Amino acid sequence: MPDAFGAAPKVAIQNRRWFPWLLMGPTLLILFVVGIFPFGYSIWLASTNIILSKPYLDTWFVGLEQYQSLIQDPDFFNALRITLVFTGSAVFLEFWAGLGLALLFRRQIRGKALYRLAILLPMVMPPLVVGLVWKYMLFPNSGLISYYANALAGLIGVAPPTFLNEPGSALQTLIFIDVWQWTPFMFLILHAGLAAIPPEPYEAAEIDGAGAWRVFWTITMPMLKPAILIALVIRTMDAFRTYDQIAVLTAGGPGNATETLNIWLTNLAFRFFDVSKGAALSLIIFVLILIMSTIFIRILSRSRIDEGK
Amino acid sequence: MNLTRRKMGLLLGSSLLFTPALVRAEAARMKAFEGTTLNLLAVQFGSHAALWSQVPEFEAATGIKVNIEYAPFENTREKTLLDMSSKTGRFDLFTVDIMWLAEYAAAGYLEPVAKFIADPDLTSEDYDVNDFIPRVFSGTGVYNDTMYNVPFDCGTVGTMFRADWMAAAGIAVPKRFDGSFTTARMTEICAALTDPAKGQAGYVTGPQRWFWGWMFTPLMYAFQDPAKAGNEFVNEAWEVTINNEDNLAALEFYLGLKQFTPKDDLNYGYAEQLAVYQQGKAAGSITYTGFIGEHYEGADLPIKGRNVALHNPIGPKGRTDPFFGAWGLSISVDSKNKEAAWLFVQWITHKERLRKACIGGNPAVRHSTFQDPEYQAAQPWGADLYDYMVRTANPDERIRVPEWAEISEIMGLHGNRAWGGEITAEQALAAMQSEMTAAFKRGGYYRNGAQNPRQLWRDLAYYDRNPADWS
Repeated sequence: MPDAFGAAPKVAIQNRRWFPWLLMGPTLLILFVVGIFPFGYSIWLASTNIILSKPYLDTWFVGLEQYQSLIQDPDFFNALRITLVFTGSAVFLEFWAGLGLALLFRRQIRGKALYRLAILLPMVMPPLVVGLVWKYMLFPNSGLISYYANALAGLIGVAPPTFLNEPGSALQTLIFIDVWQWTPFMFLILHAGLAAIPPEPYEAAEIDGAGAWRVFWTITMPMLKPAILIALVIRTMDAFRTYDQIAVLTAGGPGNATETLNIWLTNLAFRFFDVSKGAALSLIIFVLILIMSTIFIRILSRSRIDEGK
Repeated sequence: MNLTRRKMGLLLGSSLLFTPALVRAEAARMKAFEGTTLNLLAVQFGSHAALWSQVPEFEAATGIKVNIEYAPFENTREKTLLDMSSKTGRFDLFTVDIMWLAEYAAAGYLEPVAKFIADPDLTSEDYDVNDFIPRVFSGTGVYNDTMYNVPFDCGTVGTMFRADWMAAAGIAVPKRFDGSFTTARMTEICAALTDPAKGQAGYVTGPQRWFWGWMFTPLMYAFQDPAKAGNEFVNEAWEVTINNEDNLAALEFYLGLKQFTPKDDLNYGYAEQLAVYQQGKAAGSITYTGFIGEHYEGADLPIKGRNVALHNPIGPKGRTDPFFGAWGLSISVDSKNKEAAWLFVQWITHKERLRKACIGGNPAVRHSTFQDPEYQAAQPWGADLYDYMVRTANPDERIRVPEWAEISEIMGLHGNRAWGGEITAEQALAAMQSEMTAAFKRGGYYRNGAQNPRQLWRDLAYYDRNPADWS
C-alpha cells in the first residue's frame, strides 16, 4: 500500500532477490509444465527409438536418425505438399471471400445484423462437429448433398460428383469445407479493419474523381494491410494444423491423397505407436510453423514501419 | 441301484443339509467383492448389446459396479493401447479383437486368466469351460501358450447377396458351404445383377484403406494354392511372401470386381458399403457374420428376409477361405481388481448369459449355444457356422504377430491406391512386400537371437486343445 506521501512500499533489500520470483513463480511453473517440459520431452523422445506398443524392444539413443529417416521418406514430402496445397488454397479463397463480404457489409443493407449472425455461425461450430455434419451430408447416395447432386447430375446427364471418394475431389472438398467454416473469421477481422479506416482519404479520392477500382487498390488495400496480415497469419497457422475435419471426413484417404502432416503424424504416433518418429515429425512441423510465422511477423513489422513513415 | 429306505433317507438328509450350504457359499463368492467398481472399455457393436444389457443383473448379485465405456471400432485399438501403455489401470477390462491379441499380450499388458479359471473361489462350479468350442476358445485367447482372452463373439467374413434379385433374374441361389459359390460364379452373379440404368451395382465393398485387413485377406486365402498354405504372408524364416502369384491373382480378382461396384467407392468403408446395400443399390456386399442380425436382417430393414448369407467364394484352386474373427474379454495387468474383474468375466461368459445374449443377437461361441433351438431360430446364419468354427476356421488367418495392425495398414494403403488406379496390382504387392519387411525389421525379427512368435497357423491342431487344459 502507498504510504501517507503516496510512495510505493519498499521491499527490503534482502527480499528483492526472491520477491520477483515469487510473483512470477506460478506463471513460470505453468509455463514449465505445459510448455517447456513437453517440448524438452519431445526432443528427448525424438532422439530415441521408442515404439509404445512394443515395450519389449530395446531402446537406445539414435541422435538425429529419426529426423533423417523422416526427411528421406517420400510420404513426408507427399504430406508436406498436401498440407501446403490445402493451406494455400484454403487461406487464399477465405481471404478473398472474407474481403468481399466485408466490403459488402460496409454498405447499408437491411437486416445486416441478422446476415452477419448467419455468416458467423459456421465459425462457432467445433471442427469435429463440422466434420461430422459434412460427412453425413456427403454420405454416398443418402446424404443431403449427395442425394440432390446425384439427382441433378442424372437430370443434366453428367457423371455424379465424387466428393470425398476420388483423390482430386477429396482434397477440393476438404478445402471447400474449410473455406465454408473459416471465411467468417476473415470477414470478421477485415470488417473490423475496414471500419477503422477514416473517411477522409475516401472523400479526397472522390473529389479527385478516382474510380472505385483505383480507390480499392490505392486506399482500401494499403490501409487494410495490418488487418490483412493479422488475419493471414492466424488463418495460415490454423489451416496448416487442421486435423479434426480431415480425420473425420477422409482420415487421409483415398490412398494418401488427403494425408496432411498432422494426419500422418497421428498415424505414426497413434496407429503405429512409433512415438519417437512422431515426436520428430512434430518438431519438424513446429520448425515449419516457426519459419512461417517469422516471415509473417517480419512483413507485419515492416508494414508498421512503412505506416510510421 | 438298490436304494434302501435308510440310504434314501441319508441322501435326502444330506442334500437338505448341504444344499443351503452350497447356496450360501455361492452367495458369499458372489458378494466377495461388494463395493468394488470395475471399468470396462468395450467396442461399440450393436450385436453385443444383449450381452451388456445383463450387466445390471451382475451388479445386483455381486454389489460390484461395472462402468462400461464404449469406443467406436475404428478407435478401439488406439484407445486401448494408449490406456494400457500409460500403466494407470484406469480400465480393469478390455474387449479384445483377436487380431490385436498378439500386440497386447506380447507387450505384457494382459493378465493370464487360466489361474482364475482353475480357482473354485472365483469361478462358478457350472462355468463349464469345456463348453466353449476349443478352436474358438484357444484361437481367441491364447498367445505364446498362455490364455489371456475369454471369447464372447466369433464369426467369419462372408458375402451377402440379394436372393430375391437372383431368383427374379433366374439365377440359382447358392447355399452357404454347398461348394457352388466360387470366384467364377460370383463374377457371373455380379455381372448378371449389375444394371447401371437402374443405378444398381452388382456388388459393393469397402476398399477404403482401413478395411483391407478383413475385406481382402479372405480372398488372398481363397486364391492360395493349398500346397503352399501357411505362406500367405511369410515363410517359415519370416521372409515376407505377400508378393506371390496367388496373391496377385487374388488382388486382380478383387480389383476386377470394381467393374460391378459403384463408381465413387474408392473411400467407402464398412458403413458406406452397408448403406448402399441397405438402400437396394447393390446386389451383393461383404459382411462379418456377427453383423448380419443388425445390419441385414434387422426387424425394421426393408431388405430383411431378402438376403442369402454366403461364405467367401471358393478360389480357383479349390480352397475355402478359413477366416476367423472373434472378440473376447481380457483383464488389464495393471488392474487393481483382477479377481473382481474375473468374477465379471466368468459371469458374463457363463453359458446361460451367453445363451440369452445370443438369442438377442450376439454371435455364439459355446457348443451349447449353437445347439440351442431358440438361438438357431433367432440367428440361422450364425447357427450354420458351427461345423466351420469347429473344424475349418483358422484363428491365425490374420497372422498372430504383434505387427498385424501395421500389416493391415500397409495392405490398406497400397490396396486402396491400386483400387483407385494410381498403381497396378503388381506395384501394390511389391510395395506391401517391402513395407511389411521393414515392419518386421523394426519388430526385431531378423536380429540374431530374435524370439519370434511361433507360426501356429501351420498346424491348427494346436488350437483344438480342450479349453480346461490351458495353463
